[in-house]
Amino acid sequence: MRSSAPTLEGFDALLGPHVTIVTGKGGVGKTTAAAALALAGVASGRRTLLIEVEGRQGFSRVFGTQPWDYAEREFRPGLWGAAIDPAESVYEYLELFYGLKRVQWMMERSNALDFVTTAAPGLRDLLLVGKLYEIEARRRPDGRRAYDLIVVDAPPTGRIVPFLQAPEAVTEIVRVGPIRRQAGQIKEMLTDPRRVQAVIVTLLEEMPVRETTEGITALLSAGIAIGPVLANQITLPRLDVPALERLQGLGPDTLRERFDGHGARMSGRTAQLTLDLTAAHVARQQYQAGLRAELARTGAQVLGLPLLASHTFGPEDLEVLADVLALQVGEDGPRAADRLDATGYATVAGGGV
Amino acid sequence: MTPTRQQAAQDSLAEAISDAHILVTTGAGGVGKTTTAAALGLAAAQQGRRALVLTIDPARRLAQAMGLDGLDDAPTQVALPPEQLASGGELWAMMLDMQTTFDRLIERHATSPEEAAAITSNRIYRQLSSTLSGTQEYMAMERLHELHEEGAFDLLVIDTPPTRSALDFLDAPKRMTSFLEGRLLKLLLKPGVAAGRGIGKVVGAGATAFMRVAGRVTGMELLQDLADFFRDFEGMYDGFKQRAEEVLALLRDPRSRFVVVTSAEPPPLREARFFLERLEQEGLHAAGVVVNRIRPEVPRDPSDAGLTRAVRSLQEAGGVDPDAPEHLEPGSSDELALAGALQLLGDVRNLAARQRRDVAAGLFGVEVPALVEVPLLGGDVHDLDGLERIAGTLLTGRTR
Repeated sequence: MRSSAPTLEGFDALLGPHVTIVTGKGGVGKTTAAAALALAGVASGRRTLLIEVEGRQGFSRVFGTQPWDYAEREFRPGLWGAAIDPAESVYEYLELFYGLKRVQWMMERSNALDFVTTAAPGLRDLLLVGKLYEIEARRRPDGRRAYDLIVVDAPPTGRIVPFLQAPEAVTEIVRVGPIRRQAGQIKEMLTDPRRVQAVIVTLLEEMPVRETTEGITALLSAGIAIGPVLANQITLPRLDVPALERLQGLGPDTLRERFDGHGARMSGRTAQLTLDLTAAHVARQQYQAGLRAELARTGAQVLGLPLLASHTFGPEDLEVLADVLALQVGEDGPRAADRLDATGYATVAGGGV
Repeated sequence: MTPTRQQAAQDSLAEAISDAHILVTTGAGGVGKTTTAAALGLAAAQQGRRALVLTIDPARRLAQAMGLDGLDDAPTQVALPPEQLASGGELWAMMLDMQTTFDRLIERHATSPEEAAAITSNRIYRQLSSTLSGTQEYMAMERLHELHEEGAFDLLVIDTPPTRSALDFLDAPKRMTSFLEGRLLKLLLKPGVAAGRGIGKVVGAGATAFMRVAGRVTGMELLQDLADFFRDFEGMYDGFKQRAEEVLALLRDPRSRFVVVTSAEPPPLREARFFLERLEQEGLHAAGVVVNRIRPEVPRDPSDAGLTRAVRSLQEAGGVDPDAPEHLEPGSSDELALAGALQLLGDVRNLAARQRRDVAAGLFGVEVPALVEVPLLGGDVHDLDGLERIAGTLLTGRTR
């Protein structure tokens, strides 16, 4: 929605809207990126809720917690998590609007729940979006909002617009009743840039980038504000073209001698492999820089998330990712930027790939 | 893995490429199923077979490379240089159009053209046919069955849509039939309900309450449409169910094999594992697991400590403080370029080790007939050369 000056400065620009919907092609790391955004939210002092809608238990795995369920639980100071589920939403919805606690057993018996939650995904999505609406609107007793920031690990780009528009779609087949009334209020929330933004996660590869540009168009035409695009798994730049030329000039044998002189003894085979890797590394950087420029042309700001080359990937790595995000909007993340390998991450942040 | 074991592990996939009648690629979203399906088809064509690849949503450039410009639901031959093919080898490709397949299924089983028209124009049907979970997968299998009956190809390679859960597609026929058999359906088929009145007299008290609630939530018109839809559907229910059983029987045939595709990351590996276990339970045949985009294995020399020390030493020699390497320009001196090359070697080695550990942990304890690693290539695979490299890897396990 920003037409000019797409530079995000500060946490308020990155995480200003109440709800951040995180989407992207399958396999690009939506869950990881959503977790990093939530940690950045906590670092900014926001009461943050992380929501899963597809029942994958992705967050409980990356954070190493017990499985999540419908209850919103604070699992780290200032950070709550919940996995919302359509069946639970049906009960809550019926109770809220009709006081129908007693029909629960009947629905279970009559197989209707199967129909609502499985056979008609439109209704399933409606219930999930409805639940999101309820959380966004909820207030604490003192009148402040229940959460300052809600981060949703949403369905992939291909399904995101139908997912968010489920309430509207249902009004096409449902002519009367409270769903129709509520659909209007949900749409109002979704199309208010102060309340909702969509963040698309991508890899710098052909298909995910294509889905991202298509996703931006689709979301904008649905009236949903676009936040930054997060380019995930960016390789830390270790070499550039002049460095590659130097190494190729030296050749594998000299490379091996020079490494040996500094205490790294390697076989001729490893020296040759190193040389092959450097060429592939520089080629990949150039290819990815091209895709990053393509993303920037959509008008969205592109923020980078590095591919962390550590031996393992754990919750502490999510904090590093949150740091890199914070760094790119000029703020301090959960661990602050001085813990980072300054050169590499600054380059990821600075727009070079 | 020793060369002999590696070779043995390849064989069941290479064998499947040369003698299976149906190959189904399956796995999580974004792991390269479509590319793998195309490469399997190409490998079979290279062996002299007439192969058809059915895809769902190929990358544009891959589609163009295969001569697929749009969705047209009819096989197109892929132009390949004749020296690539053994005699008789042909590669064909087509994109699936699920809606057309579903409509055709309805037309075949409906008792009259009027009945078919009534169903396909019902808005519940439109909604259901495009969104009922598992329907897409099921329709892919339905089209597969049609092509199998036509008998024009030696090998049909089919790509399945990325499913949240790989189980959806195996469940689809069952889910569809059990849904059609379900109690809700029976309720709705009661004439009183269809007419939207006299509910209490016809069905039990529980159902009455449900219908009242459902009516208030959804509006009565939705129920009317539902009732119409199911009443129309009832006549073709048996044919539909029988067809679903035939499709399952075809998939259970020993000449139908499944290729489970994954990347070397824990979430897709989890799906791969569930799928392998599920195939076994269902009596379906797995040809192998393809692990895409894995980093090349890096020898253990130099040691991690030696590597770290050498990077520091080279950076110091290049005039940079290793503890605060601000504004590092690797191209500014040989030392810094060498330091960068070693850091890169370390990165790739860590990632390669992490990926192999994740693969081993992810597939620990499940029966894996063949495990083929397809290395990360420089860019995306979007031309026939790239496909040919992958095809070679699938056949021999060696990268070229």
